[in-house]
Amino acid sequence: MPKITINGNEIEVKDGSTVIEAFKKSEQDIAHYCWHPALSIAGVCRLCMIEVEGNPKLQIACNTVVTEGMKVSNQSEKVKDTVRWGMDFHLINHPLDCPICDQAGECGLQEQYMKYGQHDSSMSQSKVKKSKVVDLGEKIVLDSERCILCSRCVRFTDEVTKTNELGIFNRGDHSEIGTFGDKKLENDYAMNTVDICPVGALTSKDFRFQQRVWYLKDVETTCPGCSTGCSVKVYYNNEGLFRVKPVEDASVNGYWMCDEGRPLYKFANHKSRIKTFMKIQNGTPMPVNFKDVELELSNIFSSSEKVAFVLTGQNTNEEYSGLNTFIKSANAKSDIYYWQNNVDSFDSFDGLLKRGDKNPNTKGLLKSFSSMKKLSELNNSAAETIVVFAPENIFVYPDYDQIIESLNASGKKIIFVGSQTTTQLFQMPEGSILVPAKTFFEKNGTFTNYNNTERKVKKGILLVRGAIDILEFVDLCEMKFEPDALIKQRKFNEMAKERHVL
Amino acid sequence: MAAKEIKLLTEFYHLDEYRYLKGYEANNGYKILRKALKMQPQEIINEVKASGLRGRGGAGFPTGVKWGFLPNNDNTRYLLCNADEGEPGTFKDRMMMERAPHQLIESMIISAFAIKSPKSYIYIRGEYDESIRVVTQALKEAYDAGYLGKDILGSGFTHDMDIYVGAGAYICGEETGMISSLEGLKGQPKLKPPFPAVQGYLKSPTIVNNVETLAAVIPILDKGAAFYKSMGTEKSSGTKLFSVSGSVMKPGNFEVALGTSLMDLIELAGGLKQGRRLKAVIPGGSSAPVLTAQECLSAKMDYEDLAAKGSMLGSGAVIIIDDSHSMVDLLGVVMHFYHHESCGQCTPCREGTGWLDKVVKSIVKGQGRIEDLNLILKVAEQMKGKTICALSDAAALPAISFVSKFRDEFEKYILEGRAPMGEMIHA
Repeated sequence: MPKITINGNEIEVKDGSTVIEAFKKSEQDIAHYCWHPALSIAGVCRLCMIEVEGNPKLQIACNTVVTEGMKVSNQSEKVKDTVRWGMDFHLINHPLDCPICDQAGECGLQEQYMKYGQHDSSMSQSKVKKSKVVDLGEKIVLDSERCILCSRCVRFTDEVTKTNELGIFNRGDHSEIGTFGDKKLENDYAMNTVDICPVGALTSKDFRFQQRVWYLKDVETTCPGCSTGCSVKVYYNNEGLFRVKPVEDASVNGYWMCDEGRPLYKFANHKSRIKTFMKIQNGTPMPVNFKDVELELSNIFSSSEKVAFVLTGQNTNEEYSGLNTFIKSANAKSDIYYWQNNVDSFDSFDGLLKRGDKNPNTKGLLKSFSSMKKLSELNNSAAETIVVFAPENIFVYPDYDQIIESLNASGKKIIFVGSQTTTQLFQMPEGSILVPAKTFFEKNGTFTNYNNTERKVKKGILLVRGAIDILEFVDLCEMKFEPDALIKQRKFNEMAKERHVL
Repeated sequence: MAAKEIKLLTEFYHLDEYRYLKGYEANNGYKILRKALKMQPQEIINEVKASGLRGRGGAGFPTGVKWGFLPNNDNTRYLLCNADEGEPGTFKDRMMMERAPHQLIESMIISAFAIKSPKSYIYIRGEYDESIRVVTQALKEAYDAGYLGKDILGSGFTHDMDIYVGAGAYICGEETGMISSLEGLKGQPKLKPPFPAVQGYLKSPTIVNNVETLAAVIPILDKGAAFYKSMGTEKSSGTKLFSVSGSVMKPGNFEVALGTSLMDLIELAGGLKQGRRLKAVIPGGSSAPVLTAQECLSAKMDYEDLAAKGSMLGSGAVIIIDDSHSMVDLLGVVMHFYHHESCGQCTPCREGTGWLDKVVKSIVKGQGRIEDLNLILKVAEQMKGKTICALSDAAALPAISFVSKFRDEFEKYILEGRAPMGEMIHA
């Protein structure tokens, strides 16, 4: 393990590390655009300049391998001047359209400018004109004038997805990113190119013009799209969720995520979410107070009535375990039915991240409930009431409507705990109840991924105020449920009383 | 007294039949190959090292040392001949290929034998139609005569040679750019390290040498390293072909010993055109910093003297500029060239060459500002030594030297918005 001194600080790094990796490890600032830890070295942005003691010429940190006792610095005036000019070179042909650019606020050039520049350009000639609003397919738009030709996206399609859609065409300052012939940038991981683009050249059609990034908050959670359980960041504000990006996690997803996981935030925003407790009365769903539902549920579970539960792999371990305890204590005669989706491709894997099991927590479900029956056996059940914990990602449950229809046909009373509504729900048998469920973004907990690793699920905000998760559902059945708003009110009253305000 | 040409390589270039196998063999052709095949490869490398031969393509790196960088293992090695002669002002390789294709082929077989390479390529510039035709025909002759292929002349050495035609990019004359092009990729230089001798063509050890460098191996083995070293100067041994062009009476290629004085070389080329005064000389191709008339008087055409004067020998393209030429217009041409040829990989070069070109063009058009001169110097300074290959430097060096050495002329041009009347004509 060679030792290297960076700006006076000694640090030990792995054999064969490059200097830029040592900079990253020692958490020291170094400018760079083209270098990416998961891609090959291009060495073209020429910003990660360093001075190596004993060498008069500046070197690039990304292509310099650490040797024992090496002393490097990037604090000298010579280096700073070079980086400053490096930024000028990047900017002379870059359009200053930050006010309408989606990257603004998280743009490499802007950050660099604030650190090194803050001066007017000395370029007085006209800029090179290149293609704008180039349609690269369903998901991505390219603006060549904004592109700084770092080649990250090209290397991504060459090395990670190996689909080779992108290339750099032409020469010199007329170089442009493009696709070969009629090819489109539409592979299953294409959106990662938008993430690794340090500027606003590649933008996502989905996120384009939706929000300025500085109005967004983010929460680090786990993608609910499949059993891989990639670490992701969900960006949101009071208006809802806006996008999902991968977070570096060496043990699971590295730096990437698939494009299937990206639009799942829409389920939380969905207009057709179940928003209130409803009961089918005289053939139509009528809003009801949760107190009424509470009473009804506690009646069911305190009687000796047989209840069937339907579960999918889309809930958290905590929910499963809470439900398990409840079922054991309250209603031992209950049967649990496993609603499994896309059975044929369940065990498939694309070699990178995507798995055929489109549930984040199948492992957790199987661990919590050792004896589950197949959903197709539900017809033979003697239960009078069926409690359905419906999946939230209904894209991957093509049989969603069909299953609800068959449940309706059984004529039994249904307690439907779900987030996504569909017309079939309004035709449920008389007395059935709709319970608004929380989505993955609205609760804390864990998923167990394909590899038996616990993946953290973190709450952002509650988008549907009345929504509950399974734990709260259990509370409801045990008449212990208290909605957030009421808790706040009670706390307020208690404190006010203590201080003799009221 | 004018210097004399020393025709070590070009002795028989005046003979038409020298282009064909018969004529070449009649004039000692393939004689040295027979001799070399009986030597030990290492002996040849030692001989080349001892001769002090330096790369004739531009960088001037000692050839024997370069060969010595090859790793000591059994991996396939490649020998590539760089015949992508693109440096403006250079036309020596073209003559060598057109007049003596077999000389190139023979020298390549010898060099390949020395570095134990089973396969070599001649990468010829795409615009050189005649060179491509002549070398292709010569290659066929060489194969038919058994100088190439399996078991060459019963020595047990097997070697294959091919021609690869470039598509007209200057950057493919840079050795790693050439390797990329040969691999079927976009002709863009590769990051170094690893150097080609360790990891080059198809990730195998590769030696890239210029046409003239390889050809010099023949006289070195023929007459011995000591003889070769006796010519030229201590650090620049042997002879070199200079492509003299511009304001001289007899422009052309001249083979002289290294260290010959520049003024003698001009005289050899017939002297300046009638009634003209020497203003400047670009001594080593358009990327070499320009020399003023004053500097020319004492300039010696060898690696170290020109380096001491802040310029370089480069590829040996000597461009003579007289007082009828405008330095501003000339720089405009040079900057246009590098802007057009930058591969676009590294930011300082991609953006810098375009920037310089635009600024110089605005001056040429009469829209220049005095402060543009300092801007040119600053931009060019930041392009020096900051990129993967030397193209950025090649654009920066002439810009810096033109503007700093002929600042008066630039300022006059900017103030008047054109070249002063009656004194200069368009380049």
